[in-house]
Amino acid sequence: MTVKIVTDSVADLPLQVVKELGITVVPLNVRFGEKVYRDGIDLTTDEFYDKLARSKVFPVTSVPSPAAFAEAYDKLAKETDEILAIIVSSKLSGTYDVAVQSIGLMKRKCRVEVIDSQTATMAQGFIVMAAAKAARAGANLDELEAIVRRNISRVDFRAAFDTLEYLRRGGRIGRAQAFLGSVLKVNPIITLKDGVVEPAGRTRSRAKAIDHLYNFALSYSNIEEMAVEDTATPEEAEALVERLSSKFPKERIYRSRMTPAIGTHTGPRLLLVAVQGDRG
Amino acid sequence: MKQIDSINGQDLREMFAAATTWLEKSVSDIDALNVFPVPDGDTGTNMLLTMRSTIEEAYRAPDRSASAVAQAMAKGALMGARGNSGVILSQIWRGLAQGFVGKGSLTGSDLADALQQSSTMAYKGLSNPVEGTILTVVREAAAAAQAQASNDRNDLISVMEATVRAAKESVANTPTLLPVLREAGVIDAGGQGLYTIMEGALHYLKGETEQIQLRKPMMIASSVPLPVRLPQMAVSEVPYGYCTEFILKGEELDPDKIRLRLDKKGESLIVVGDESTVRVHIHTLDPGNVIHYVTSLGTTHKVSIRNMDEQLHDFVEMQKERLPAADMAIVAVVSGDGLADVFRSLGVAAIVPGGQTMNPSTKDLLLAVESVVSDKVIILPNNKNVVLTAQQVQSLTTKSIEVVPAETIPQGIAALLAFDYEADFETNARIMKESKSNVKTIEITRAVRPVRLGGLDIKRKQAIGFLDGDLVAVSESTTDALNRVLARVNLDEAEVITIYYGADTELPEAEKVSASLREQYPQLQVEVVRGGQPHYNYIVSVE
Repeated sequence: MTVKIVTDSVADLPLQVVKELGITVVPLNVRFGEKVYRDGIDLTTDEFYDKLARSKVFPVTSVPSPAAFAEAYDKLAKETDEILAIIVSSKLSGTYDVAVQSIGLMKRKCRVEVIDSQTATMAQGFIVMAAAKAARAGANLDELEAIVRRNISRVDFRAAFDTLEYLRRGGRIGRAQAFLGSVLKVNPIITLKDGVVEPAGRTRSRAKAIDHLYNFALSYSNIEEMAVEDTATPEEAEALVERLSSKFPKERIYRSRMTPAIGTHTGPRLLLVAVQGDRG
Repeated sequence: MKQIDSINGQDLREMFAAATTWLEKSVSDIDALNVFPVPDGDTGTNMLLTMRSTIEEAYRAPDRSASAVAQAMAKGALMGARGNSGVILSQIWRGLAQGFVGKGSLTGSDLADALQQSSTMAYKGLSNPVEGTILTVVREAAAAAQAQASNDRNDLISVMEATVRAAKESVANTPTLLPVLREAGVIDAGGQGLYTIMEGALHYLKGETEQIQLRKPMMIASSVPLPVRLPQMAVSEVPYGYCTEFILKGEELDPDKIRLRLDKKGESLIVVGDESTVRVHIHTLDPGNVIHYVTSLGTTHKVSIRNMDEQLHDFVEMQKERLPAADMAIVAVVSGDGLADVFRSLGVAAIVPGGQTMNPSTKDLLLAVESVVSDKVIILPNNKNVVLTAQQVQSLTTKSIEVVPAETIPQGIAALLAFDYEADFETNARIMKESKSNVKTIEITRAVRPVRLGGLDIKRKQAIGFLDGDLVAVSESTTDALNRVLARVNLDEAEVITIYYGADTELPEAEKVSASLREQYPQLQVEVVRGGQPHYNYIVSVE
């Protein structure tokens, strides 16, 4: 029986990929005031950034309920006896713990393994995609776990921020705290290392920050997957895709929008390049 | 909205048992915050151990009344208290227990009143209370509890919610009250610990056991932006000595008198207790002396003497793991308080005052290099005349030194921004050196004497302008000189212009220049920053 793959909405997977590869996505929750939305379902990305810009209350995120995971597992357990869940970094979100604890709430019997992807965004998405493809090709759960663990060290991303205020307020600033409090206006570049927010660089202009993302992609000797994501600046993202097409076929570059659960912690002007491959 | 009107002793115990579980999850995060009074990185652990002892004793209470359970908890806290924050925490329990005396169950206003006593007790244990610590947090939290209790909505949950909210704000504010926190770039560890305990108790009251199981306490973000810096071990060469703790048992003991006698024997003194049991915590260079004194008063128990300099060393090691590039540090030569702030906010570990008119000595630079924790140090001279001096430092230290020969302030800042957190020392030195070509420097000053330079006749006090060190403009006004130099730079290709105005220049003047630049070149990002530098009216970077 084919192993079924589960992930959370932080993986930023385009809907088409989710459908094609038969991936189950469990949404986090985004709350504006008293109103709770399921990430990417009750609230589209456009609606969210529109609200983020206009709303007086700041949104907060919360983990999916254990029931949401248990239902997703049970539904899949009708078709399979093995499930692999690949979850956003446990250092950023409690979703991993929920995904593990929900196993105990299942009504059906089925082996479920949960792996901490130690990352987020399409970097997490690539790990999920590779696992889903291998599962379709017949890999069993143990083989898939090995593939996932190998890919965790082969995905990476750089994200250009206009401000770290949102990250700071959400308590997820990590080691990028070193970038706070600058007297000069700087554009911080952030990544995740071992699942924790890590400073990668600073520039004095948005254009130089985008150069930084471009050079990051150029530093790879072998690229298997590439994605360009934005929160609310699609023109910038398109221009970056054009530039990157000299390095990697344009039609293979995934264009994705940051899911509201991430946008809550990054703010509206984020641009990101995610890569799976080998550097140097 | 859920309401709870009162709880009994059993609930009280369960509530703080849950709070202890909650606290346990953030122990290592709290340890990492710890810089005051001694950066030994054990606040979280100490608070947890104190709470465990508190809860264990709570189960030995003779009955289930709130009063009996609280008394037992206070006793457990006093016996098990560890470290500064642990002892203060035990005072907080003692205050609560006093407030609950004779009460079978507790209402919201009982809790508020008892918290007020906790705050008073917490301050009482110290001869020299410091604000911006757990003390401030308990005081402000207690005040908020009082305010809520005098409201219509004074059930336990409402009071506890108000308490937690106030504690959170109070913790976020600690860096504004205590300079050592601000410098270290952290909030107060003990305050965070207390907040976490209260938050855990609130989760319990609201029946959110799932939250406690699944989630992790959030560390509170400071209300002011904080730069991250390592504790500067070598700067304070005064040893911290020994953290000495014990329980004194006897008859007719007088905590106030003991506090007075021990006051001169060390730092961070806390003496709490009653006439039969007194707990002492002190940082002293001579623990023998302290013990000798107290054994004349009674018997000593649970004596603990820990070498804090050793603890500090471990703490610095722990911090290195948590911080970016902690094995590398940057030392910069800068004059002007505004410019010093700019460099510091970009992560420079030590600033050596100096520049055009005041070149630092090799020894000044050496001291700064030795003062930073890192073994690999990059020096930014930021002046042509300091580069050579900086290059002498390597021969005088065992640390590895790289001099990035920035000759101007803008070159130094460009080098700092080029610093790559993922790259090693040598690579960073290389990319920082390469960054020089990305920036042009304009400097405007006044001639100190008449001179003929670069084919120009210059009178004394005339404004002169340099572009990357070459004299290119002379004028009567400094602003005009700046405009003349700017006219020689191809600004169509520039993205960012930063104007650092000097100590002798007024902001409105600098803003005139920036306004006209923005008008002529709307694509430019122009920033005006107070540099406060002597000698130069303007230092301008064009990137």
